[in-house]
Amino acid sequence: MNAIVLVLLVVIVLALLAVMSRNRLVRLNIAVDEAFSQIEVQLKRRSDLIPNLVETVKGYTSHEASTLEAVVAARAKATSATTVADVAAADGSVTQALRGLLAVTENYPDLKASANFLALQEELSTTENKVSFARQFYNDNVRSLNQAIKTFPSSLFVNSAKVAARPFYEVDDPQDRKAPTVKF
Amino acid sequence: MTTDSRKFDFRKLQAGNRRKSGELLFGMGIIVGAVVWALMTYFGKSGVAIVPVAIGIALLSVWGSYWASDKIVLTMTGARLIDEQQNKQLYDLVSEVCVAAGLPLPKIAIVEDNAPNAFATGRDPEHAVIAFTTGILRVMDREELQGVAAHEMSHVANRDTLVSAIAATTAGALAILTDFLMRIMIFGGGDRRDNRDNQNPIALIASIVVLILAPLAAMLLRLAISRKREALADVTAVQFTRNPAGLRRALEVLQQDTTVVKQRSTSVAHIWIESPLDNSATSKLFSTHPPLSERIATLKAMEGLS
Repeated sequence: MNAIVLVLLVVIVLALLAVMSRNRLVRLNIAVDEAFSQIEVQLKRRSDLIPNLVETVKGYTSHEASTLEAVVAARAKATSATTVADVAAADGSVTQALRGLLAVTENYPDLKASANFLALQEELSTTENKVSFARQFYNDNVRSLNQAIKTFPSSLFVNSAKVAARPFYEVDDPQDRKAPTVKF
Repeated sequence: MTTDSRKFDFRKLQAGNRRKSGELLFGMGIIVGAVVWALMTYFGKSGVAIVPVAIGIALLSVWGSYWASDKIVLTMTGARLIDEQQNKQLYDLVSEVCVAAGLPLPKIAIVEDNAPNAFATGRDPEHAVIAFTTGILRVMDREELQGVAAHEMSHVANRDTLVSAIAATTAGALAILTDFLMRIMIFGGGDRRDNRDNQNPIALIASIVVLILAPLAAMLLRLAISRKREALADVTAVQFTRNPAGLRRALEVLQQDTTVVKQRSTSVAHIWIESPLDNSATSKLFSTHPPLSERIATLKAMEGLS
């Protein structure tokens, strides 16, 4: 009698563990989806800022047409991306084009002093921060999911939970890779 | 990277602080166990009936302040809620940290006070409120404020209002219980003891010692838990911003500053980023926060990693 109760208890505990590991995988997978949509929300915010920025800069500068065009072109390309790799690549080129534009504005004191541009600058820097925090949050979530997929006991339920390892969001940023130059 | 520097990886530090605060909470459980044992030794089994009463009273007194912590603390500190228009930059940097933490945007408030300080409270992330003094907004730059916001949002993410409510309830129940028992022992009724003649005198003395020391031990444990949660919030802030330098510089600003928030009540002292009560003369054992110098040193070690 006691043996039956014991076996039953063990079975119940094992079943509970199984349900919990499987649910954990499902939960982590949803967290990755949510984190990715957060990146898209922030990229959209940044994209919406660009026309206003371009108009403001245009008003103060005369021969920066190519820099402005690069920003507009990068923005246009970003709207068609859907996969993680494509979104990340498009995100990288917009980031780079914006950086080029902001570097150019350094040469126009009138522009930098204008109230409109100052407001835009705070908006741009907070959006840029949000974009990079959203990427980081996504990658942390992918890291947890991929770890759970590879480790026991959750690794046993990968098929039943219908989850798979997800790609990291990697932005190709030449500035990050550049080795710091030492000057004496 | 040496083994020593890997100790300052934020994931390791987080796990360490979580484990330690868990152990401390467990320690409080052991004290409760010891007091119940003392009670049974001294008064016999019937005495156990007052344990649920003491826990009930403690729960009643702590639960309300936990549940409505956002509203109560706002009133006690005189903080005033602001919207996006009133301080765009502050609003922006708090929402940045929320994106990094995956948390909903809390209510943001400002306390009119020249001393630089900040706090966060609320029973869950949906009812969180984060407040900054006018002083901190004046003396800190954007990056430092972001570090402060990340520290405060870490308290929200780590559910520190709940942790401190549990610690306060346990310490409160122990205080009520031991106070009650000591009164009965001193004034009272020997007739309440069921088995006086069978008692082992050593056990009786031990139970009195337990009853005398338990409230003090519970208070020290409660402070130790508060210090561990502060250390954990510093580390979690680095997880959010990946920028230990911002928070480190913010703490250095606080270290140099000598003004102290004009507190209306000491009961909310523990929620500020820099304690308004602790000072260099206070022994570490009795502080709600780890010393600023220690917090700065940990963050510096984390900077060395990136």
